[in-house]
Amino acid sequence: MLRKITFLALLCAMFSGSLSAQNYVVSVHGIVCELCSLGVAKKLRKLSFIDPSNYDKGIKVDINNQLVYLAVREDAALDKTVLFDAIEAGGYQPIEIWAIDSAGKKLEVSQ
Amino acid sequence: MKGVLYLLLLVGACNTALAHQPVMDMAPRWNNGYGIQTRTEHANSTTTQWLEGVYTFKPSVRMTFKLPYADGEFGDAIVAVPIKHYKNAGGFTSSWGLTPSVAMPTGGGSDWDAGLSLSYSAETASLFQLYDVYTLGDKTGLDVNIGPVYADGNGSSLFTLWDVTAVDSASGQRILTGPVLMYFKRNVVVRFEYKMPLLDNDNEWDGDFISAGIGIVY
Repeated sequence: MLRKITFLALLCAMFSGSLSAQNYVVSVHGIVCELCSLGVAKKLRKLSFIDPSNYDKGIKVDINNQLVYLAVREDAALDKTVLFDAIEAGGYQPIEIWAIDSAGKKLEVSQ
Repeated sequence: MKGVLYLLLLVGACNTALAHQPVMDMAPRWNNGYGIQTRTEHANSTTTQWLEGVYTFKPSVRMTFKLPYADGEFGDAIVAVPIKHYKNAGGFTSSWGLTPSVAMPTGGGSDWDAGLSLSYSAETASLFQLYDVYTLGDKTGLDVNIGPVYADGNGSSLFTLWDVTAVDSASGQRILTGPVLMYFKRNVVVRFEYKMPLLDNDNEWDGDFISAGIGIVY
């Protein structure tokens, strides 16, 4: 019984850690309109590392705080250069990216 | 870029005509974005059906077209190249736009006309404003759209704008004003516009202006 509980706890910890490492937020200057932000979401959804099973096909845009949430596939690595290029192709200016946990809490800041 | 400069020189050598952006000033502002809109307009006792389209090469360069249909005949198609310079800063975005246009004689005539407009738009999550000055043949005009925006956070928004249109021409002057309502859900845009004369010293103008349209962007 103890071994089963330990195994489940380890499994949960692994899953939790993996999930938290796969969600990111990008602050994007000027992204204040949902219609205009369609292009950013469209460009980002085409990236191979985006996980379409989370958020809205992998992307969520918060125009009130100028943030773009993205889910990254567990078996892929986020490419910041490709990501920022896609946002610029969508018509906006990416500023900063950081990882978040499952509760949306900031984990780290990538420069 | 040389092509754009060539086009600017080309239309600068012609007369004037105006092509406001179809669908909406704000979209599509992404590389290789496109949209199409159909709009019914009633003014001067005439109902005109417009077919309008836009293609965005990159956020700073677009191409638009407008084709009118009234009284069983097509009118002159208008092709324009809006050139924009965007500024993004936190919760604010703005753009200056220079829009040369060409009216092609698809309505049966033989004259090619051209025009130019200069616009400025600014937007936050709760306020939109657009100012556009233009020349059109013997006409000089100013369009102003300003008003609050209500976004639901789930991909739809309602723009409740107030429009003022002032035109000075050889036939006189007129100022029209009224509400503009624009609602979109995802990539579908619905727009309604009504303007009444505030000042009408124009011998060629009579009554109100009503327009309703629906468009989609990709």
